[in-house]
Amino acid sequence: MASEPQPSTVHEGADNEDAPVPTNAEDRKTAAAMSNLEGRGDEDDSRNGKHVDAEALGKAMQSLSVESGADKAAEKKVKVEAVDVSLLVEQLELSKIKATELLKAHEGDAVKAMTAFVMAAV
Amino acid sequence: MDIRLMKPSDIPHVQQANITNLPENYFCKYYLYHAMAWPQLSYVAVDTSRPQKTPYDYPKIVGYVLAKMEEDPSDGITHGHITSLSVMRTHRRLGLAEKLMRQSQRAMAESYGAHYVSLHVRVSNIAALHLYRDTLGFTNDKIESKYYADGEDAYSMRMDLSDIRLEAEQGRREDEDEDEGDAVGS
Amino acid sequence: MPQTLSSKDQANFRSLVRLYEAKQYKKAIKTADQILKKNANHGETEAMKALTINSQGNQEEAFALGKVALQHDMKSHITWHVYGILWRSVKNYDEAIRAYKMALRIEPESAQILRDLALLQVQMRDYQGHIQSRKLMLQAKPTLRQNWTGLAVAHHIAGELKAAESMLETYEGTLKQQPSRADSEHSEAALYRNMIIEEEGDNERALEHLNSIKKTNLDRTAVLEVEARLLLKLGRLEEAEKAYRGLVDRNNEYRAYFEGLEKSMGLDRAKESDIPKLVELYESYASKSERLDAARRIPLDFLEGERFEKAADAYLQRMLRKGVPSTFTNIKGLYADESKRKIIIKLVEGYLSIAPEKSESESNGDKPDRLRESTLFYLNQHYNYHITRDLDKALKYVEEVIKLAPKNIVYIQAKARVLKHLGNVTKAAEIMEFARASDEKDRYINTKAAKYQLRNNDNDRAVKTMSKFTRNEAVGGALGDLHDMQCMWFLTEDGEAYVRRGKLGLALKRFKSIYDIFETWYEDQFDFHFFSIRKGAVRAYMDLLRWEDHIRDHPFFSRAAINAINIYCQLYDDPSLAGPQVNGSIDFDKLDANEKKKALKKAKKEQEKQEKVEAERRESERKAMLKSQKAQKKDPDAEVKQADADPNGKKLLETKTPLDDATPYVNFLLEFAPKNIESQFAGFDVFVRKAKILLALKCIQAAHQINPDHPGLHERLTRFRKTLDASESSNPKVAQVIKSCISIIPAS
Repeated sequence: MASEPQPSTVHEGADNEDAPVPTNAEDRKTAAAMSNLEGRGDEDDSRNGKHVDAEALGKAMQSLSVESGADKAAEKKVKVEAVDVSLLVEQLELSKIKATELLKAHEGDAVKAMTAFVMAAV
Repeated sequence: MDIRLMKPSDIPHVQQANITNLPENYFCKYYLYHAMAWPQLSYVAVDTSRPQKTPYDYPKIVGYVLAKMEEDPSDGITHGHITSLSVMRTHRRLGLAEKLMRQSQRAMAESYGAHYVSLHVRVSNIAALHLYRDTLGFTNDKIESKYYADGEDAYSMRMDLSDIRLEAEQGRREDEDEDEGDAVGS
Repeated sequence: MPQTLSSKDQANFRSLVRLYEAKQYKKAIKTADQILKKNANHGETEAMKALTINSQGNQEEAFALGKVALQHDMKSHITWHVYGILWRSVKNYDEAIRAYKMALRIEPESAQILRDLALLQVQMRDYQGHIQSRKLMLQAKPTLRQNWTGLAVAHHIAGELKAAESMLETYEGTLKQQPSRADSEHSEAALYRNMIIEEEGDNERALEHLNSIKKTNLDRTAVLEVEARLLLKLGRLEEAEKAYRGLVDRNNEYRAYFEGLEKSMGLDRAKESDIPKLVELYESYASKSERLDAARRIPLDFLEGERFEKAADAYLQRMLRKGVPSTFTNIKGLYADESKRKIIIKLVEGYLSIAPEKSESESNGDKPDRLRESTLFYLNQHYNYHITRDLDKALKYVEEVIKLAPKNIVYIQAKARVLKHLGNVTKAAEIMEFARASDEKDRYINTKAAKYQLRNNDNDRAVKTMSKFTRNEAVGGALGDLHDMQCMWFLTEDGEAYVRRGKLGLALKRFKSIYDIFETWYEDQFDFHFFSIRKGAVRAYMDLLRWEDHIRDHPFFSRAAINAINIYCQLYDDPSLAGPQVNGSIDFDKLDANEKKKALKKAKKEQEKQEKVEAERRESERKAMLKSQKAQKKDPDAEVKQADADPNGKKLLETKTPLDDATPYVNFLLEFAPKNIESQFAGFDVFVRKAKILLALKCIQAAHQINPDHPGLHERLTRFRKTLDASESSNPKVAQVIKSCISIIPAS
């Protein structure tokens, strides 16, 4: 019923930054809007900056850096045979990393690992 | 038939409804642009009676309104604009187009303070004209000559949204008053 | 070693960057060459030149120069950054990320590189890397709200809800004053925080938070929906009921609201004693407006027996008298219940006697009632429906209704459908074409006509039909526009018609184009990683990310993928299919060797002739297009889409590795649509041919879980047994796995 033509300046996929310059006003307007999508525009922080309490911000930033010291979960040590890794890579078309993970999850037992893989619930 | 907000996952079927019915078509990203920039404005009509064929079936879209706010209004007045509206021919006479429009219009006024909503429609589209003018209360603004790619003219139409806008603002004020008085609710 | 530029050339370099950014590529190249004249191996200049060349569309040359630039200056963030951009532009994001990281190591302060890196990381769903980059961005510019939101989102999609919320909370805590109520970024951020609290499962706190933002929030619908949902989850039923009633008042055609209302009123459809209350509830809404459908239709779902019959009668008569063409569509969901089905058909058949051929109301001069016409149409759809199919009756009713309304294309279309189901696709296509010709301005009927032409294997006419509404000046003409506009249904049906015609190259071509469109759709999210965070509309953005994570579970993808896989398996089994095909009317297998040779030779000649005609046609199309482009004085610098070098899919067809070509399709099917038994079958069909026994076993094992009685399963089990028997068990561990999984496999 109601209907607009699609502006010629709209690009599918990730935008390349080199869209041709539109020639009529209507298209230019849309192009300007869509160019926001590209992520090339300058950031305007004036509208936010003045509302922010500098002191509070400083504290907030401190807590941020403390928090980033995340603790690493201790990884279980499981011995994995290289032959088994290649067997899984070959048979199950897994990447080496995935194959190793799968073996580790099954105490390094290739038969158990492959059986679990095959019999997994859908 | 459900009337509800359009989600990104609806877009493939919205796109299909559009290209089935109308000559003006868009690729996925343009729909996404509407859904990301004005997430409250676009609505779909969904066939809820359809038996599932696979566990991955998406709702079948039988109608949609794709809407936006005018980005740099030439008259300087905040207003919404209908990019595309369509209902499958098999789902006429249910008033879906009107119901879709009403939801979108309210959201324009409520969320963005739109003063009016505008749209373009082919001059030959009698049924659509009837909907906008007689059912919804749009007025003809002007004729845009050769607006469409095939050379057809468009009516440029608009409808005032002041009533909904003021109602929304008043509703918000009442909420506040209520808040300052007794506790909310029962 | 990197060279140092003279001050004059440094100025030139700066202007080179400016020219590039202003998209003045020709001048940019000139400037770059000027610098390089004096500084032959200046890496950064070469990099900027490569970037410019890339923007002009010459990727190969750009890459070559980009690499040279890097060799000349490994320690420049510019050469690495450009290298990253080049990879990004060919969509190799892994390599791009690597290059950006190198650039960043050299220039840790560059906001632009950091941001580009973050965008790539979220696109690649490198959650932890993304969090790190967002953190650095925030540390560089903590006054910018979007940096807090960006880090919150990064935590959120990584599943770290607490951290996500704390970012939003922390930023709010730094605000000196409440932002104005028109601040949509603030309004969105508030609802986003609420969404996270609810996802954390803390409904109590979510409601509390919602109440604090409710009155000022700009997204009224969302606020009211969340409020109702939280109240219901918290068991505050009275308030929940009020909230849901409020929602229904705003939108009375949304089942989710009615469901919430039922629950908040403590009503249970399965409880006999609740039924009268439910009926009363829906009647109260139905009586409010003549135009309401949901309140009238919903009770049909839970009513039974006599009560159902009464309600169904009222509903059906009302819809049919109004002439609502979708009445059947709206009712057929009830057909799963046999008793309801029987009641419905009894009722509808009865309407024929209420509305005899000459209706009284008509002669009274009243508004004519559409009951008879709609009833006939309903009966047609009923008998055309697969559960209740009786095609003779369907045909009889549709012919009767066409007599009443000869110009209604919905009825004509219905007749074509019956004929299609009768197997007469040719006649069906003719009828649709007739309907189309009767209203050339209606794209809907045009679409249906094209679809039926495809069902009749008439690909060329279908494109011609479609071309009445496409932008035919697009590269590749109408078909090109259908690709550009991502017209999935057409590409799929076109491909399937080519499969039936044995034109496997063209068929593969179409299915590949569906595959490519899904790539594009995945790609489409890229720009929103920046846009949405900046705009602050984050809830919609989260919806987008979550959808993109599984877009390929869409039936549009599965259908094309399964088709493509089938063709690749056929090609593997019979490589001669890639060669010229003998006319289908000859029974090739019955010919003797000499005749076979002749037939093949003839076929080859025919194919060559066809190819020549095709090539000439394309050439003339191309010329016409160039002419029209010239006529429109198109910008010569504008991006020109290249014509397809393999329009008939010849290269796809002549593959030496059909099973490998099928693999991407298989992987997506198994990853995203594993519960669809057809995905498992397709996987099996490829793996068994590749002699990947365990993977094949996994697929039939999964298929068996989905539906042990599926007819497609049996033949595959037999085939698996045969394959096992034929292969000498290679590896003892593999043999052991098979042995332990073997319960579903028939004995040899």
